[in-house]
Amino acid sequence: MQGQPHKGPIIEVSGISKTFPGGVRALIDFSTKVRRGEVLVVIGPSGSGKSTFLRCLNGLEEVDGGSIVIDGIPLDDYKQHRLEIRKEVGMVFQLFNLFPHMTVVDNINLAQVLVRKKTKEEATEMTLSLLKKVGIPEKAKSFPSQLSGGQQQRVAIARALAMMPKVMLFDEATSALDPEMIGEVLEVMKTLAREGMTMVVVTHEMGFAREVSDRVIFMDGGRIVEEGTAEHFFDNPQEKRTKLFLSQIL
Amino acid sequence: MMNKLKLGGRGFVGTILRRSTLIDILKFLLLIAILTFLLYRGTKTLGYNWQWYRVPKYIFTIEEGRFILGPLIEGLLVTFRIAAWGLILALIFGLFTALFRLSHSFVARVVARGYVELIRNTPLLVQIFFLYFVLAPIFGLGRLVAAVLALSLFEGAYASEIFRAGIVSIHKGQWEAAHSLGLSTFHTYRTIVLPQAIRRVLPPLTSQAISLIKDSALVSTIAIYDLTMQGRTVISENFMTFEIWFTVAAIYLVVTVALSVFVSFLEARLRVSY
Repeated sequence: MQGQPHKGPIIEVSGISKTFPGGVRALIDFSTKVRRGEVLVVIGPSGSGKSTFLRCLNGLEEVDGGSIVIDGIPLDDYKQHRLEIRKEVGMVFQLFNLFPHMTVVDNINLAQVLVRKKTKEEATEMTLSLLKKVGIPEKAKSFPSQLSGGQQQRVAIARALAMMPKVMLFDEATSALDPEMIGEVLEVMKTLAREGMTMVVVTHEMGFAREVSDRVIFMDGGRIVEEGTAEHFFDNPQEKRTKLFLSQIL
Repeated sequence: MMNKLKLGGRGFVGTILRRSTLIDILKFLLLIAILTFLLYRGTKTLGYNWQWYRVPKYIFTIEEGRFILGPLIEGLLVTFRIAAWGLILALIFGLFTALFRLSHSFVARVVARGYVELIRNTPLLVQIFFLYFVLAPIFGLGRLVAAVLALSLFEGAYASEIFRAGIVSIHKGQWEAAHSLGLSTFHTYRTIVLPQAIRRVLPPLTSQAISLIKDSALVSTIAIYDLTMQGRTVISENFMTFEIWFTVAAIYLVVTVALSVFVSFLEARLRVSY
């Protein structure tokens, strides 16, 4: 852990590039900063590099060049730095990625015990309060396969929150859900935003972007095409490509 | 409503199962009858004199109320010992070789690959001889140790491919979730990947364990008195070739079928959880 709380932006991304084997350039000289407590929504057509950007933030993808600093810790080749950053950054995936062979409680306890070195009792206490927060305390003893998609995703959010992260990343967290379950997951995300969690959200839910975001980035071809507040973005977009995209999805 | 439907479904499947089981049993009995007939005809033309009544004393005898193991069962106990140690070591070799092959280290991958290819592409018999006649004197290994090592190295190479298949079958989202929570590679393997992978590869691992028990017959070539060797010795004394080999085969069959049944039971137990 760092001794002093770090001042300045919690996420600083400068000039990162990522080319996948096969030559697809997912990110090209991409830079941005995220303030503490800010909710940044990233939108764009599929293949625009928005998920890659998110996955670079906790080192699930290696960048080819440029730098990423999270809460003062550089994301570099030091294993220790990577581990520290992963402790501070929670992630929620499109396909939930719960551990199917463990109960809901064990899913959420696991990293608290192994990474945060809590006792099982301390972890379970935290887990039960988080399950209450995401609205499914009665599912503690269930296995993931016994839950609906919306419930699974809420467990996944609780699992990430159990690490007490400073930043939460959401990678199309509602894209794999049946329409009637999207609302319950978005509700949890809105609550988090209201509580001041720093969030980077890749989503196709424009209603959520409009209501919750402090800033919206529109990406295409691995670059930022347009960036601004939700009002600017939805009511008065400047770029042609942004207008085209919005007209297609709204 | 749901319950009723489910029960109805099970009843339907049950009827089909029972009918097909009956037909299967009839087919099986018919097959046995044909085989027995052929064997009878064959031995008759050979003029073979069946002496099954002499077989039991090679399995066990009772003298003065005391139970005395026959040579075949003593051999079986040796087979058990070799197979049990061989299995434990084979699983360890297999697991570590699989992890080596999937590791980031170039050296580990080359070593693991070399081991698997070397073992898979040479006969087990040659490996047993090599270990016993070449390596055992150098390192001062006993007969049994050499046998167990040869067997476990051989089966471990196959087991490693089974483990590897199981590990790579785990969705990469599981790795990503574990890493995003800050779990190390070791913790991810131990708590997330291996528990799921091993459940998936239990059936092929069972086949490998059965192979190991059967392949252990080859250690009789370095004069270890296992089931096969005892059978051979008994035959050299009394010339009941057919009876003893049939008995030996039946004992192997009982052991391997018991193992299969045990693993099916284990699989069913493990499946309940998710």
